[in-house]
Amino acid sequence: MWMSLWIEGFMQRALLATVLSGVACSLIGVLIVTMRLSFIGVCISHAAFAGALVGLHLGISPLSSSVVTSLLAAGVLGPLADKGNLSPDTAIGVVFSASIALAFLLLALLPGPKSEALGWLWGNVLTVSRENLWLLGITAGILTSLVLLFFKELQAVVFHRELAAASGLPATAIFYGVLMCSGVAITASLSAIGGLLVFSMVINPAATAYQFTYRLSRLFLLSVLFAVLAGWIGLALSAVFNLPSGAMIVLVSTAMLLVAVALSPKRRAGGGGVR
Amino acid sequence: MKPSACELREVWVAYGKTPALRGVSLRVEQGELLGLFGHNGAGKSTLLRTLLGLVPVQSGEVFVEGVPVQKRYPPHLRQRIGYVPQILRVDAGVPVSARDVVMMGQYAQIGWGRLPSRQHHKAANRALQAMGIAPLADKPFGHLSGGEQQRVLLARALAQSPHLLLMDEPTNSVDWQFVRDLAKLIREVHETNALTTIVVSHDAPFLALLCDRVVLMEGGKTLAEMPASALLKWVEQEFV
Repeated sequence: MWMSLWIEGFMQRALLATVLSGVACSLIGVLIVTMRLSFIGVCISHAAFAGALVGLHLGISPLSSSVVTSLLAAGVLGPLADKGNLSPDTAIGVVFSASIALAFLLLALLPGPKSEALGWLWGNVLTVSRENLWLLGITAGILTSLVLLFFKELQAVVFHRELAAASGLPATAIFYGVLMCSGVAITASLSAIGGLLVFSMVINPAATAYQFTYRLSRLFLLSVLFAVLAGWIGLALSAVFNLPSGAMIVLVSTAMLLVAVALSPKRRAGGGGVR
Repeated sequence: MKPSACELREVWVAYGKTPALRGVSLRVEQGELLGLFGHNGAGKSTLLRTLLGLVPVQSGEVFVEGVPVQKRYPPHLRQRIGYVPQILRVDAGVPVSARDVVMMGQYAQIGWGRLPSRQHHKAANRALQAMGIAPLADKPFGHLSGGEQQRVLLARALAQSPHLLLMDEPTNSVDWQFVRDLAKLIREVHETNALTTIVVSHDAPFLALLCDRVVLMEGGKTLAEMPASALLKWVEQEFV
């Protein structure tokens, strides 16, 4: 019975959405994990949630307004950290708390049932629209091109931002660019897997891949592979057991991470932590 | 008259409201091997960061090869400065090999979106060999010892074919018995590549062994300058 689901249009759109959001989230996830900005996922997703609520209040497309607020949040993070002489994590914490406060305020002020608004928080890959698929496809395509085109510049900034700047690379611009791309990737994936769950899709595949390689190029490839696998396995399990798809995708990606940590050649070689 | 390798004229730099350089003037001639000596917080590292254009100059002028750089740093000049920072705190699992780090020194010269050519790879290999770390080239950078990482960072700077080499506390990650070897290595690199080299350190015997001239810094100012051979005597008089 559940096998016949795979030929249904909504399921095929869900499979495609999983691939595209997997590519977008996992590529940006590698940069986030290696730059130790893990909290940015939850920060941007809440900014996007607040933006969707602004859209619902104003009667405009929640997707468009969430793109605007998440880009705004991503755009503020870098200068806030640099000008305020704060660590990026502190700046992320400040923007996150402001975003979640704004989101709760707007949610409380929203008249009538809150189910549409909460849908932005939880998302549903089975109801992804054609408009969302286009957005995801364009985002995944742009991010893949950027990673391929500027691989060496990204590698230098991932290794050490100041050293990259000292050698003449525009390291600050690249760092801010990564933050903005995080905003785009996370917002584009929101409607597929939801604001809360997008965080783990950004972090888990990259952290899983991190267990297996010391090469950045392989890290990108493995991260995409693990994200797509987690998406498809999670989707299959949700169809078979009639469970929420977003939650299943995240649980599968978490299980993959736990297995990877257990098997990690890097962990055994003492490859974690700062030396 | 030949332009200096680099020069600071009455330069003021501050971190927030805390001044780090207070009207520093310093001229470094081409081919010179200069030591900057002083306590932690004397402003030595800030002086290097100022020459690299990493910190904004509040007032004064900074010249590299006779060109003012404090407002707009011409990329070709910045790309010819090799910088060896204090030991980097990087994750042991960072997805970068020693060879990657050496290649990175040339990325700005290669240009946006372009792949390194065979010549860039050759330059990296030459630098790895010159530093005696060719066998470590494919090891993860985070798995190397402090001394090996120091050599990788020096190879990175060399691969850039620099005119000016800036080194910040190079003895920090090296056991004391290897300090003499490090001084010899830096002197060799300096002479073989016809560089101008500035070495920041609070290790007086190391600077005395290595440099031609030493400038003493304290509280963000230059205090005095002397031939390197006179440094140990000065330290003895001041502190013993």
